[in-house]
Amino acid sequence: MEFGGHLLPIPAVPFSGVDSGYRGAATRPPWTPANLWKGASWKTFGLRMLWLATVAAISSRAVAGEAPSPPTFGIDVMAALSKAGCNQGVCHGNKYGKGGFKLSLRGDDPQADFETLTRELSGRRANRIDAERSLLLLKPSMQIPHEGGRRFTVEAPEYRILREWIAEGMPADPPTVPSVRQVTVQPEEAFLLEPISTAALTVTAHFSDGTVRDVTRQATYELSSQIAQVDSQGVVQRREFGELTIMARFVDRQAAARIAFVPARPDFSWNGPMPVNFIDEQVFEKLRTLRINPAPRCDDRTFVRRATLDLVGLLPTAEEARRFVTDGRPDKRERLIDELLERPEFADWWALKWGDLLRNEEKTLDRKGVHNFHAWIRQCIAQGVPLDRFARELIAARGSTYLVPAANYWRAMREPLRRAESTAQVFLGVRLQCAKCHNHPFDRWTQSDYYGWSNLFARVSYRILENRRRDQNDSHEFDGEQVVYMARKGEVLDPRSGAPAPARFLEDGAVPLAEEVDRLHALATWLTAPDNRLFVQTQANRIWYHLLGRGIVNPIDDFRATNPPSHPKLLAALGRELVEHRFDLRHLIRTIMNSHTYQASAGMGTVLEEQGGTFSHATVQRLAAEPLLDALSQVSGAPLHFAGFPPGMRAGELPGVRAERERDSKLTGADQFLRLFGKPPRLQACECERTSDPTLSQAFQLVSGELINRLLTESDNRLGRMIAGGKSDTEIVEELYWTALARPPNESELAGTMRYLATPGDRRGKLEDVLWGLLNAQEFLYRR
Amino acid sequence: MSDPSEFGGRTACAPLTLPRRRLLQVGGLGMLGITLPRWLEGSPQRVSSSAPARSVIFLYQFGGPSHHDTFDMKPGAPEGIRSIWGTIPTSAPDIEVCEHLPEMAKVMDKVTLVRTVHHTMKNHNSAAYYALTGHAPPLDDIRLRDSLDLFPAYGSVVDRLAPSQSGMPTFVAYPYTIRDGAVTPGQHASFLGKGHDPLLITEDPNSPNFQLPELSLPGNLSLERLQNRRELQKLVNGQIAAQQAPVAGTGLDAMYDKTLAMLQSPRLRQAFDLSEEPAALRDRYGRTTYGQGCLLARRLVEAEVKFVNVYFSSNIGGQSTTEGGWDTHGFNNTYMYPILRARHLPITEHTLPVLLDDLDQRGLLDTTLVVWMGEFGRTPRLNGQTSRDHWPQCYTVLLAGGGVKRGYVHGRSDKNGAYPDRDGVPVEDLAATIFSLLGLDPETEVRDRLNRPLPIAAGRPVASLIA
Repeated sequence: MEFGGHLLPIPAVPFSGVDSGYRGAATRPPWTPANLWKGASWKTFGLRMLWLATVAAISSRAVAGEAPSPPTFGIDVMAALSKAGCNQGVCHGNKYGKGGFKLSLRGDDPQADFETLTRELSGRRANRIDAERSLLLLKPSMQIPHEGGRRFTVEAPEYRILREWIAEGMPADPPTVPSVRQVTVQPEEAFLLEPISTAALTVTAHFSDGTVRDVTRQATYELSSQIAQVDSQGVVQRREFGELTIMARFVDRQAAARIAFVPARPDFSWNGPMPVNFIDEQVFEKLRTLRINPAPRCDDRTFVRRATLDLVGLLPTAEEARRFVTDGRPDKRERLIDELLERPEFADWWALKWGDLLRNEEKTLDRKGVHNFHAWIRQCIAQGVPLDRFARELIAARGSTYLVPAANYWRAMREPLRRAESTAQVFLGVRLQCAKCHNHPFDRWTQSDYYGWSNLFARVSYRILENRRRDQNDSHEFDGEQVVYMARKGEVLDPRSGAPAPARFLEDGAVPLAEEVDRLHALATWLTAPDNRLFVQTQANRIWYHLLGRGIVNPIDDFRATNPPSHPKLLAALGRELVEHRFDLRHLIRTIMNSHTYQASAGMGTVLEEQGGTFSHATVQRLAAEPLLDALSQVSGAPLHFAGFPPGMRAGELPGVRAERERDSKLTGADQFLRLFGKPPRLQACECERTSDPTLSQAFQLVSGELINRLLTESDNRLGRMIAGGKSDTEIVEELYWTALARPPNESELAGTMRYLATPGDRRGKLEDVLWGLLNAQEFLYRR
Repeated sequence: MSDPSEFGGRTACAPLTLPRRRLLQVGGLGMLGITLPRWLEGSPQRVSSSAPARSVIFLYQFGGPSHHDTFDMKPGAPEGIRSIWGTIPTSAPDIEVCEHLPEMAKVMDKVTLVRTVHHTMKNHNSAAYYALTGHAPPLDDIRLRDSLDLFPAYGSVVDRLAPSQSGMPTFVAYPYTIRDGAVTPGQHASFLGKGHDPLLITEDPNSPNFQLPELSLPGNLSLERLQNRRELQKLVNGQIAAQQAPVAGTGLDAMYDKTLAMLQSPRLRQAFDLSEEPAALRDRYGRTTYGQGCLLARRLVEAEVKFVNVYFSSNIGGQSTTEGGWDTHGFNNTYMYPILRARHLPITEHTLPVLLDDLDQRGLLDTTLVVWMGEFGRTPRLNGQTSRDHWPQCYTVLLAGGGVKRGYVHGRSDKNGAYPDRDGVPVEDLAATIFSLLGLDPETEVRDRLNRPLPIAAGRPVASLIA
């Protein structure tokens, strides 16, 4: 086999008691503990094979992986139907079923499937007298034609399980049959060094009666990426190098494994710098394991541009850039970060990010509400209000939305399910939406969790003091003061039972709240408790995302066991840092930005780096809509105009999203630009609403659009002022480069530009062309 | 005719309105030295090779046409329900249509009528979103908000799954962004991403100056200047490329190439150049925004555009003989019959049959699916203004070409045209049929912003109307 000398050591954990019943040596690598140890070395760069889920978790009571005989319906038959793929969305799990045979999607509803199999399919499809004549066996084993192809052979365990169950008379399970409490997968995390190209997963089911069974052969597997494939026995086979997550699912429980296939890189040697802080320690530890060196520290001009864009959403001015680059003090980066954190524009820019999530838009909150809400958010950030207090004030807010701006959080979301989904997404990083209609297929949340959580929000009510809505038909439009209050009564009903879903928090083992408890006050306290891991880590991860361009959990509002963090220890450490420093946004930003990891240059990545999640180098990102537009205005020296605001307002200062009504004054070119480049309409509490997909319309706008043409040609723009000030071509070109790119033109750029300016023709026009070239350069459009 | 700028609000997803521009000269464009790239980077083609339809022309009848007074006449129904107009026989033996559609009658042997389309949405925006996407809106809301959790337009799905390989855009929509109080959802790519939005044109194809605004440059910007600018841009980009990684995979750079290629593409320019059509043919289509829009649709299909949305009107209308859609309630002391007679029927009469004949004569009808539909039908019972209100419970959609049967009626409404009597067709099934005819499996999954897998259509193809 291929276990050569590069095998990595594992912690000394007894690999006990698991008899991998189905594994033939031909299909499954003989990956026994003895093999793992062979050739292991503790030395090379501290490389480690991480078995984070200790194998010891498998107790000695674990039994071999064969389903019992006779099989149970709820566990064995359901697992067999899943394993064979019968209940997939494209097969019988389809809304309409297939060929008149419908199963619940992914076995979501065993009771319904039991009814289907035992009642609807009497006779031909399930023949109790002659089980092997059942269509349920003949079709999937292709003894007679089956549109879905062969799902299993007559020798397969699925065949045996179905046959035995049918032959037994398709009995319902006695109440003594245990349910699956938990599924675990080993290894949870593994770094596999070339030439190792396979990893054998072991999936264990833990039952309600305390028994444990190896279900590797019965589990189903899904991969997060195409870089590997997995067979029915849980053996993951590398296709390309890289990292991926494999979700193992058994009946209605799942667990995830994160596996990296690492190229050997025999001449790799670590040359990373000294870690600046714990962030680098964690990031470097993984990079060493993956045999990747971190990119070198970016140069000063890149840093000043990057840091200024990230913290205040603006370009550094030519003067700021020059001053920073020529500053000789060794701690100038630290100083710049501190200065930027105290600038008023810092509050503008970070308030804008929160304004997106909190749906600060005019149609529902009205103009005054948007203004007040924005001012409140901005002030919280400017004054350094701790993030936990910020969240508490939003959740607990009530009263007039004009007087208590935080109450706009509730004004924006008019019904309980919306409030529940958004609150989970923004503050816990949980996408609960799937659990509305069925138990979450990739997470532990059930429909009961969904409605129980939703019921926390049932009593938010509005006293509408005034509504001057212009469109009487538009139930989303509110213009006037409202008072948010908590009704005495009001419940969210669980649609399955028609009864109130007992209100409870989103956590394992949550107990229903007592009737007399103020649900949202209780929620505010529970939510922001320092030991609420999801809250703490979601906030830390969001800050990380805004600075590094990718979450440690990614997407940032999708925390679940089956979407594990790329750096679990780093995420935990960032969360601790946040808690220990009183949820201080600035402190965490400062900590992150002073790390080498933040200050690394952007570079040509290897495969692993390109897939993201290693943080070996900086992420190159197109400027977001507002900074891009502000930068265009800043560099061209021509002001912007937004409908309803005085000229000269920056895009980053806009408080909300304007209500667009049919008869309103038309949006300006600047308003339209923001939409085109992905400013969100703020109708969803998801970072994903802000888009950066490149489109042709964007390119047309930048190449020959009305707005850019106006910025270039306005007579008293930067060009006009410099020409009037008697500046030479060289001076003008130098200034434009510093303004747009935070650097001087190099020799060839200057020479090429001067050659162009020396050609016959209108001087101003040619300078406009030079400026156009800068505003359309990748270096300008991207943060790197 | 209505002027597109008259209702000129633009949507979140509309390209910018550009000012009047100077048309570029076609000659000399080659100096940019760029070959025309494929319009979009290939997502894997999921099109079945045996798909009958290569393109779809989706003629959207905003406001909701009365099926009782067009294609599902009920002369036997009691007074107060039946149309005041009579029926005439058509070229299809078993189909009769309204007496004021004699030209339409001549082409009924080329079409399939689906007389039992049904859903439950009574408000224009919710119902129109249903019709434009095939997916049920979350609620029946007169001002349904256009957000990214709603489904994309059919054409955006096609652009996502089976983009045009011809260098032409996959999805083109014009000449309006439709709205009823608020922008009607379902006109763009929504959660599929702006990269799959239609090429939206809000110029009037009936205007003598009609052209694709994107294909012209501001007055002060000559092509030579643009080339100089591109050189200056490359000068800066070259430095970065030499030092560090290019901005790989971010895509905007590729868009620059496409943009410049579009500016020089004679094929694209020609596709939009209606002046190349003989004046007599233009007259036959009718010198209306909608008529010339239908002619443009044929040109675009010839140029291998895969999905064309032509909106009959920018608004629901129904109260005017000179502008607006089919929403003929009789509000404000108007009456449905004279309005239909003066506006809607004549325009329909002078465009749809001409389009079908024109496509047929060019051999394009077999590969081009034409869909003529609105968001709902209208009430069987005439109201106090001898007009009709909203009726989604049962209405008629006309299909032609692209692999559907000719001279065929699918489904039968009851004696009053109120409910399906036989073979009801939910909107979901109609959507599945459209995708299926294009060779896309309706169960193909796309991912929304929350990464949830969702089938492109929630229904099943109506097999019996497929030829």
